[in-house]
Amino acid sequence: MEPVTPRNEKHFVNMTESQVVSSEKIPPGEVMINPPLRDPLAAILSYLIPGLGQIYQGRIGKGLLFFFGLYVLFFYGFWMGQGKNVWLPYVRDLPDVVFFGHKVEGILKAVAYRPQYAAQFWIGIAAWPAIIQYYYYDPFKEVGPYLGKYQRAPTEAELNEIQRRSSKRWDLGWVFTVIAGILNLLVIYDAFAGPMIRETPEPLPTADPPLIGTNSGGPARSADPSGQDTPASNVAPPETGPQT
Amino acid sequence: MNNMMPLLSVSIYWDLPVLLIIVSLVYAATRHDRWDKIIHEAIHWGVRIVLFLVSIGLILYALSTFL
Repeated sequence: MEPVTPRNEKHFVNMTESQVVSSEKIPPGEVMINPPLRDPLAAILSYLIPGLGQIYQGRIGKGLLFFFGLYVLFFYGFWMGQGKNVWLPYVRDLPDVVFFGHKVEGILKAVAYRPQYAAQFWIGIAAWPAIIQYYYYDPFKEVGPYLGKYQRAPTEAELNEIQRRSSKRWDLGWVFTVIAGILNLLVIYDAFAGPMIRETPEPLPTADPPLIGTNSGGPARSADPSGQDTPASNVAPPETGPQT
Repeated sequence: MNNMMPLLSVSIYWDLPVLLIIVSLVYAATRHDRWDKIIHEAIHWGVRIVLFLVSIGLILYALSTFL
């Protein structure tokens, strides 16, 4: 089998041999790549855009699967909710939130009033407009200064109207977006530390150890993987079971 | 058969396959790196989720219909 270079050579320049899995079971022309054990940069990339960390690591197919899978799930849910299920509420006038004896302020207070966002946040950049809208929210205006109504907290009247004239899809929509965010946590972990079940590199098939030194008059030696030559007479024969 | 029509006509049930396929595939892909194993595990999870949802759905449907 011809060696195949990982697409992202720059990233794999420091990889050990054990991280490149070569197996007879893998189709010709394909090399399995075990990602590094700790890759914080890839984890950050996969947080920002699902699958980007895997693509950076050279696992293009999986990266694209995560990218399309999670964005389809997130935006499908967003569409089911008519674009009004990913937002942070305006909480300045709402009662205080106390968490373990401490008063929660700012964006954490908003998340306490809209806990769905704690999961939606993990989809990455796609959920950041809600944070921007939160910081620039003006209750006396109908739209935000930069993003209009996109991921802006809907008014009470808007929410009532949506629920009055739509089915349960609005509610199911935010469930989709929450699941997409939670799934991306698994994707981030995959980028950081590889898949849950890592492939064990299988040893390449080798011929019997060659005998060395038979022409020089010395004792025959067999090549030892440890680098030390061992006299052939000292090599134990393979066990064949109890002798009778 | 007519009794089943309300169950089939509720639109949110038609959104579930999207969730089911994506959750199965993404979860399986976070457990393996090889495509044959990913597909194999995704099918397993898909079947388990379908069986779970169908059984829950049938129980709720029976409770709402016969009680």
